[in-house]
Amino acid sequence: MAGVQVGNRIIGADAPVTVGWENIGRVEGGPIKQFVFTHFQPAVLFGLIAFWYYAPNEWALASIGIIIGLCFKVLLLGLEWVNPRYRSWQLTWKEFATDVFYVGLGYTLLRMVDTYIGDGVMIEAVQGAFAWEKFSWFTSLPLLVQALMISMIFDFGQYWMHRGMHNWYPLWLTHAPHHYITQLNINKGAVGNPIELFLIGLGIGGFFDFLPRAFLIAGALGMAVGTYQHINVRFNTPRWWRFIFNTTEHHSVHHSQDYEATRSNYSGTWIIWDRIFGTCVDGEAELLGMEGGRRMDIRETMLFPFTEAYKDFRAWLNKPADAPEPAAAQATVAHQPEPAE
Amino acid sequence: MHVNLPYIDRIWRARGEVLLDEPLTPDEAFDRLDPLFQTAGSAYAVEGDTLGYSKHNPAAQDKLATFTRGTLRLDRQDGRSRLVFDVSSTALLLCFLAPLLFLGFAQTMVALNAWDVAGTGAVDAREKDKEAEKPKVKQELHPLDKLLGAPEPDDPDKKKDKEKDKKKKEKFDPTRAYVLAGLFFVIYLVGRVLEPWLFKRTLRAALAVKPEDAEALEDARAGAGPSPQPEAG
Repeated sequence: MAGVQVGNRIIGADAPVTVGWENIGRVEGGPIKQFVFTHFQPAVLFGLIAFWYYAPNEWALASIGIIIGLCFKVLLLGLEWVNPRYRSWQLTWKEFATDVFYVGLGYTLLRMVDTYIGDGVMIEAVQGAFAWEKFSWFTSLPLLVQALMISMIFDFGQYWMHRGMHNWYPLWLTHAPHHYITQLNINKGAVGNPIELFLIGLGIGGFFDFLPRAFLIAGALGMAVGTYQHINVRFNTPRWWRFIFNTTEHHSVHHSQDYEATRSNYSGTWIIWDRIFGTCVDGEAELLGMEGGRRMDIRETMLFPFTEAYKDFRAWLNKPADAPEPAAAQATVAHQPEPAE
Repeated sequence: MHVNLPYIDRIWRARGEVLLDEPLTPDEAFDRLDPLFQTAGSAYAVEGDTLGYSKHNPAAQDKLATFTRGTLRLDRQDGRSRLVFDVSSTALLLCFLAPLLFLGFAQTMVALNAWDVAGTGAVDAREKDKEAEKPKVKQELHPLDKLLGAPEPDDPDKKKDKEKDKKKKEKFDPTRAYVLAGLFFVIYLVGRVLEPWLFKRTLRAALAVKPEDAEALEDARAGAGPSPQPEAG
């Protein structure tokens, strides 16, 4: 497989990746279907922003946001059924049950852990140690500017945490199980080792003070853009959208079986961060996962960082001090799941 | 999971039969089912009229991904061939047990709330009193937002009065854990009905395809290429 040169990298040498917007699939069907799946994403985004902007104070609550989020996911599950991107990613009962298990862990176990050692606690400790108040001048900015700042600051942190996970082996051990998913569905973002999900959720937004309504608008941005990272729906995504926002096309490239392609498209919501830092690859992929698409079960997902770290530690202990690195082994490492940069 | 637990094993086992339209010998029938076992992690063996199989962590799209172990036996009844199956599913069992895990999380939250009230409630109350002493300024909207008609933020003084009336908020709300326990019970019920039905449908479809038709189909697929998307480069 020759692959395609993107910048100074070859994408698609190990596994098929479609590079370039002109090569990706389009929505098939009549004019109504075309219309719906072309304008659905912007309509939902602008509708949600308008809702949170004008909602009375008694409606502008996080609990209403959670209910809207759940209803939205049910709607997206329906869209996956009606207009799948790939039949080979079709949701099965077992995949759905497995995904809900990980989502459930996020809503229960991780919430408990977060309360004690999450970013809120860390930021409070830092503020206490240095007698800092919150940076509060942002509250006087227009609401939409505040919302954009919240969303982009969080995504900027997520971009570097995610990129770090692909470039530093201890972090990679926590992130690797997420890369064993072999198809994208709306709950697949929650699939992974809980340590990784804890780390990727850390943000620095708590240092700043914003109006609560701005947080809700920022949440709507995350929901109406970030959710599409892991979705099996074919959209005719508008050009302006895919230039600034992450899409399922971008994220499928990130999850492809091609090693070099996985080292791209790290952001969660704003693909513009990848464009700025030179890691964006526009395109899509169908064959996803690691080790040729081996599915990782729940038990292995939970234990992977520890078992792999233990294996590596044993190997390091047993390695003779003066043993030279075999050239063949080094060549193999380049195509192994761990980051080799 | 070959434990003999009558009635209880219905939680994770499915038994049933598929009546065949045409008379088939066991060898012919198992030949037609062979593609279902030519997937990663599958192992099977035929002994007379019975096929036993197991699948270790099958792929997401494996047709037999839910029922990962079992036997298929071909016999004749009233002059018709029938395939009798007895299969079990670790996924169904784990899904049946999942509500217990989330009920466990809910109880942990309740215990942590009680511990929080008993142990640290007094400290929190002192800290909150200190916070309450700080005068809170009413936040103002940007003139542009006022012009566009966004609702003004609540007055913190009025809000404080409202909050006083409310019951003290607990550290963890176990409602989500209870909802998830219920959700898993529903998912289990759906799976217990849906998956055996899909399993039968898969067997029926596989048995209806003659080996020569299957080969022609395979050739056609190979001719069309391995992937529906254009390959890069």
